[in-house]
Amino acid sequence: MAKKLLEGKNAIVTGSARGIGHKTVEVFAAHGANIWACARTHSPEFDSYCTELAKKYSVTVKPVYFELTDLDQVKAAVKSIMEDKLPVDVLVNNAGITYNALFQMSTKELIDKTLNINFIAPYLFSQYIVKLMVRKGSGTVVNIASSAALDGNSGRSIYGASKASVICATKSMAEELGEKGIRANSIAPGITQTDMLSSMTDDVINETIMSTDSKQPGTPVDIANAALFLASDLSSYITGQVLRVDGGM
Amino acid sequence: MLSNKNIVITGALQGIGKTTLEYFASNGANVWACAQKPTYEFETFCKELEEKFCVWIKPVYFDLTNSDEMKAAVKTIQSSKQPVDALINIAGMAKDAIFHMVSMDTIKLVFEVNFFSQIQFSQYITKLMLRNPNPSSVVFVSSISALDGNVGQLAYGSSKAALIGAMKTMSKELASKGIRINVIAPGVIDTDMNKVVPQEVIDEKIQTMDIKRLGKPSEVASVLAFLASDLSKHITGQVIRIDGGIK
Repeated sequence: MAKKLLEGKNAIVTGSARGIGHKTVEVFAAHGANIWACARTHSPEFDSYCTELAKKYSVTVKPVYFELTDLDQVKAAVKSIMEDKLPVDVLVNNAGITYNALFQMSTKELIDKTLNINFIAPYLFSQYIVKLMVRKGSGTVVNIASSAALDGNSGRSIYGASKASVICATKSMAEELGEKGIRANSIAPGITQTDMLSSMTDDVINETIMSTDSKQPGTPVDIANAALFLASDLSSYITGQVLRVDGGM
Repeated sequence: MLSNKNIVITGALQGIGKTTLEYFASNGANVWACAQKPTYEFETFCKELEEKFCVWIKPVYFDLTNSDEMKAAVKTIQSSKQPVDALINIAGMAKDAIFHMVSMDTIKLVFEVNFFSQIQFSQYITKLMLRNPNPSSVVFVSSISALDGNVGQLAYGSSKAALIGAMKTMSKELASKGIRINVIAPGVIDTDMNKVVPQEVIDEKIQTMDIKRLGKPSEVASVLAFLASDLSKHITGQVIRIDGGIK
């Protein structure tokens, strides 16, 4: 068996119910991490997913259910994590929504909603978790952004802006928290095979894939492996960066 | 992370290259360890790694700026009939002088070692990779000097910037054929290359970093291992800074 990269580490992953977050929980568990797997809605399938992973890899995988945009629920979730009395080594902010609409068609309501879920909610959640990391003098934060934040894409003005906000905040966090032993980096996935793709037409998806160097879409495991890299000591001298995982867009 | 992979590493004799060789072997890689000239210590080092980590390490000696020697080295690698899974181009040189003082001869020499020879060697090795049914990976070691500029590093920084340009084109041409190409850009790493830099300059640089210390060679080696491994199989055409968040 190859070396486990997160042996004995404790990690929080948000948006674990589906897609990239779901895969990240599996990859992290396989690499020896204990995980608080955060999801919005309670489901027996997710409970048993966590139980199975825990058994398979001899780690703890604990589902934590809360609505990221409800501050009271966030506080309760943080409290339940603190009650476990374990150091928090890794935070992966993955939960988010996608939103496609042309510039002129983007309503205030959708702008608020997208920024709230993709930027403000993880920002506030990170404040709580980073406080725990500062106390012990180490930790790494991995924020899932998007290539849309770097490139700008048609129909993605608000989604891209919400993810660009994440990248900017991550850089500030890296500068403020580096001295306290905390690293912060972002991942910018390109076209990745998740439910989120359903917001795009097949033509657009295929065209985008063919414009990449590798001519292939990414998979959730590709993003999870990049998160593993940034969460682990493999990247101990990397902070404030954006890692594109996009097959060369 | 690198079990059963066969990897070519240049500049394996010292500094980041030597650390990378050891790091890769400890992660299960077989390595063609390229260095300019044979030394007893290097031969012994390679043998020790072989025994310790149950891998093979084949020293390959050639001067990167000597075309004939390079061709012979490629032939040696080819004749072992093992697929090449990754190429890590580490060999390089630095020659510092401020802009008005840097001679054309110096610039040409630095480009010869840091750019032309690496491109030529990569041409040969990627040709072998095209025959490998498995995906493969090429990494160049650039520098933050290429991205940010650095006083006294006109020749070095420019040669390292040229590698980034080449990498992007190579990725466009080769990624669809299963060869990923990436660059790392280390910041100030604690190696002999930085021993010539005055301590106060180093201290000043550290103050501009988010992580307030020099990088270790092993912290560069671990990123190279990630890029050589399948963990990064959807990452191509990228420049990854390993700089502690230097400003």
